[in-house]
Amino acid sequence: MHKVLIIDDSDINLTLIRALVLKLGECEPIMFEQPMKALEWCRENVPDLVIVDYMMPEMDGLRFIAAFRGLHGRTEIPVLMITANDQKDVRYEALLGGANDFLTKPIDRVEFSARVRNMLALRTGQKFLADRAAFLADKVDERTREIRERERELIFRISRAAEFRDPETGAHIQRMAHYSEIIARGLDLDAATCRLILQAAPMHDVGKIGIRDYILLKPGRLTPQEFEIMKRHAELGHELLKDSGSEIMQAGAEIALAHHEKYDGSGYPKGLKGQAIPLFGRIVAVADVFDALTSERPYKKAWALDDARRFLEEGRGKHFDPLCIEAFLAGWDEALEIHQRFRDDEAPAI
Amino acid sequence: MIKPFILDKSVILERLGGDEEIYSMMLDMFLQDVDNNCAALQAAAASGDQALLQREAHTVKGLLATFSDDAGAAVAFTLEQQARAGRQAEAASLVTAVVARIGEVAGVLRGQSGG
Repeated sequence: MHKVLIIDDSDINLTLIRALVLKLGECEPIMFEQPMKALEWCRENVPDLVIVDYMMPEMDGLRFIAAFRGLHGRTEIPVLMITANDQKDVRYEALLGGANDFLTKPIDRVEFSARVRNMLALRTGQKFLADRAAFLADKVDERTREIRERERELIFRISRAAEFRDPETGAHIQRMAHYSEIIARGLDLDAATCRLILQAAPMHDVGKIGIRDYILLKPGRLTPQEFEIMKRHAELGHELLKDSGSEIMQAGAEIALAHHEKYDGSGYPKGLKGQAIPLFGRIVAVADVFDALTSERPYKKAWALDDARRFLEEGRGKHFDPLCIEAFLAGWDEALEIHQRFRDDEAPAI
Repeated sequence: MIKPFILDKSVILERLGGDEEIYSMMLDMFLQDVDNNCAALQAAAASGDQALLQREAHTVKGLLATFSDDAGAAVAFTLEQQARAGRQAEAASLVTAVVARIGEVAGVLRGQSGG
């Protein structure tokens, strides 16, 4: 049923137009003698077609169309304006002001029916396209969500592949990713960036896939030569992930390369200093070290949380970016909660 | 002097798509409103409000055109234009002519409707 809004200050015209609209079928005429009242109705209701007289007291057809078009979501709704044959200047103005077509007075039924039908067909097309667009947008959202979910899972599994060859555990990557997110939030980074680091941080050690077992799994201290080889995991991880089309992988590549850089320039692989170290690298450095200290390893006991905190504080401006330390300590309670939530003895959830 | 109004029902009906029901409805409404329309036109002229007079003349023009009274509609159109131009004296004299015309058309229509 099409809602046809009719605005005319003349009773006889309203009655005539209403009768003609009803003859078309599938139409519900809604009539107003006063344009202001019609406009009020339009704030709450959406007509499928507006038929408006030009000459009316208090508000003429042109002003009505302008006000109607100004309402939210009413720019496309067809509007027919009724004018006399002698009002050519008004017609031009109305066309520029948003009328779609005209009806000439006295109203001719054949012309009226054809023009109204055309306008209603236009409206039907608009509604169909709008419905279709909304349907497609929903579908795209759904598919995008699925793809993102798969990407997230894939990244977690890639990260786990590296961890399997390492004494570190699946819970470690969960914890350090969440610690990284706490720091990002503390630095007032936007929500999308915080989510990005949460998803990308687990890939920080993915380059360990390329380190030989006798070094990676060596129970004792590494010789200087072995340590040089071990350090290559940063560049290997970067090599593996760089040039990816995925924003998360790109962030992962940056993190892999930069998470062993130190604020004072004494880190590796590039010995970058201060702000020259990519921000994600500076953030993950704090998160990774804190989790390494507070986790038990075959060769060491877990540090007490307060000792680890002190270590971070002392490393401010040397190993770590002071702002990242500040952000992490600001979220300390939340960090403790993460520490409790992801335990090494439990299988990590994907 | 305007030539006398002759009702051409076939032309009006053609415009209404041959719909007798709508035709009778229009006729009844015209006859019901005729006194009000004349009064509104005269009151507008008396008030000196030229914009109001222009609008009332416009309404009457439409009504007369609905019954295919081209000559009557032309006089109402002249009145509309005079009012628009603010020519009060010329407009006042035309008001009498238009009111008379509405009365004449109503008389003919009344004869048709059997009223």
